[in-house]
Amino acid sequence: MPAGGATPRSDDDDGAPGAAAVGALRSLTAKQAAVTLVIALLFGILGSAAELVFDWRAMRQDTAATMRQTLAMVEPSAAEAAYQLNEALARRVTSGLAGYASVTRVTLRDDFDGVLAEHTGAAGSGPRHLADRLFGDLTHWDVPLSHEGRAVGTLAVELDAALLAQPFFDRAAYNAVMGLLRALAICGVVVLAFYLMITRPLLRLSQQVARIDPGNPGAALVPAAAGHRHDELGGLIGTLNHLLTAFQSGLDQRDRAENELTALTLELEARVEQRTAALAAAKDEIEQLNGRLAAENLRLGAELDVSRRIQCMILPKPPELAAVPGLDVAAFMQPANEVGGDYYDILQAGGRVRIGIGDVTGHGLESGVVMLMIQSAVRTMITADESDMRRTLAVLNRTVYDNVQRMGSDKNLTLALLDYAPAPAGGSGGGLRIGGQHESVIVVRADRRVELIDTTLLGMPLGLVDSIDAYIGGADLTLAPGDGVVLYTDGITEAAAADHRLYGLDRLCEVLARHWHEPAEGIKQAVVDDVMAHIGTQTIFDDLTLIVLKQK
Amino acid sequence: MDTNITGATHAAAYDAATGTVRLSGIMRLNGMTEYAPVVALLSRSIAEHQSVTVDLTALEFLNSSGIAVLSKFVIEARNKSVALTIRAARAVPWQSKSLVNLQRLMPALVMDFV
Repeated sequence: MPAGGATPRSDDDDGAPGAAAVGALRSLTAKQAAVTLVIALLFGILGSAAELVFDWRAMRQDTAATMRQTLAMVEPSAAEAAYQLNEALARRVTSGLAGYASVTRVTLRDDFDGVLAEHTGAAGSGPRHLADRLFGDLTHWDVPLSHEGRAVGTLAVELDAALLAQPFFDRAAYNAVMGLLRALAICGVVVLAFYLMITRPLLRLSQQVARIDPGNPGAALVPAAAGHRHDELGGLIGTLNHLLTAFQSGLDQRDRAENELTALTLELEARVEQRTAALAAAKDEIEQLNGRLAAENLRLGAELDVSRRIQCMILPKPPELAAVPGLDVAAFMQPANEVGGDYYDILQAGGRVRIGIGDVTGHGLESGVVMLMIQSAVRTMITADESDMRRTLAVLNRTVYDNVQRMGSDKNLTLALLDYAPAPAGGSGGGLRIGGQHESVIVVRADRRVELIDTTLLGMPLGLVDSIDAYIGGADLTLAPGDGVVLYTDGITEAAAADHRLYGLDRLCEVLARHWHEPAEGIKQAVVDDVMAHIGTQTIFDDLTLIVLKQK
Repeated sequence: MDTNITGATHAAAYDAATGTVRLSGIMRLNGMTEYAPVVALLSRSIAEHQSVTVDLTALEFLNSSGIAVLSKFVIEARNKSVALTIRAARAVPWQSKSLVNLQRLMPALVMDFV
């Protein structure tokens, strides 16, 4: 039977959906056959029962009708025999009746209950009880006989229920067998039809679904079932294939993404390797550079150290300042981190006092060397008793220019020289002659009035051009007691605050005026404190130099 | 050679068509070495033109090395008899003071204060 069409699988299979183990008795077809059979039998039984009931009723009516008809037919003869007490006629009547099937006894009695004739036949066999129940009420027939309106006797006919029922039973048995056969036939046809139309395609579908590779669901789609392309089964297969294709596409996407990821990972690893190598190379290079840088820094540090020492070692010492006749002198210098080239000096020779202040361009060793050079040259000139400022400046320029050329440097410097002479004996105060180009000279009078002397036209930066003779000028100044002069480098006026504001000449003059009543040292300190406050924590870009000269 | 130099706080640009060199920003370079590109730009201008303008109006600050560079450039221009114009800004404090020397070094220099 078609149950074998299912592919039985063991329960411990991979458990793929749709691969359920199906026993022959639990198969779809078997279930369907059983249900169909039960239904067919039920209807068959009901049909047969109804038929039997009809048959039973028909047989009863038939029997009753036959009996009434027969009895009506024989009644005249029976009445005749009873009236005449004609036993021969009576026997003919009874034997005639006895010839009918199912008649077991026929008795013809006269009016006096005397038996005129009696005939008995063979009793039937079979289930008497059931036969009595079905046909028992039809077994006794008594026909009263009359002649000309007067009762003459009785004709009693007895039928045997078993004989009456026999054809009914035969028919019932036949019906039962035929009904069973019909039920089986219907069952078979229905099951076959269902099997062919639904069960078999479903089983095939089930097998095909079971064969789907979960890892590659779209590889082989389920073929359309023949004859089911446009029905629900076709729809199911279509939906299933759609689902499988979607699954496959999802899996393909996943695989592609996985492959891409793998490729990217490999590429990344390769790049990381390359980068690591490059970094290692760069690190080596950086270490080498660092080494060189450290060496260079060491060299620069040593150079700056030397520069600072050169600059500071040649500065005038406090006793020298204190020894200047007629002037209260205070001086301050702070080299920048990268030493600038500030220069100042106060020299005495032959009763002359010469004050110098200058600023060599740039920073570092070269600036320091040029500063040392100019200090020596200025001292040489005064030692050689050269009193002419124009000549002094011209020689200084030439000296610096030639040396700087030799050095292959672009250094030059501003330089102002101030020759101080106390007033002649008996007078008070003193006089100053100023020459050379530098920052403006601040003159503060005893009453705190501030005057500025622009030195631009008094000279030219030294070392810039080979000859500055044409540019040298001079300015003379008289100092009364309490008057004074303040010299500075641009490190002071251009000292920058955090917000890039420069300290400025105006503020310097203000502070000087405010503190002018103090001794030179106090004035100097006040300015230095104010400048430092202005700079705050900023880097000091340039050397700071300040000289306060106050006429005693 | 670059016609534009850009530093952290400064810039120098040479317009070869008009023979104009424009310096701007804050120039606080260290010595000849660091000023070399600016010097080259300035030298190129007077090598290529008989009439050169140096625009300093946007130069907020120039340190002493820079002023030396300008001074030497002016002497070079003077020696080559180049017609040199320097455009400066009176509003920038360092310029009115420091540029006087340039005028003194080259009396023919046109100092154009704006």
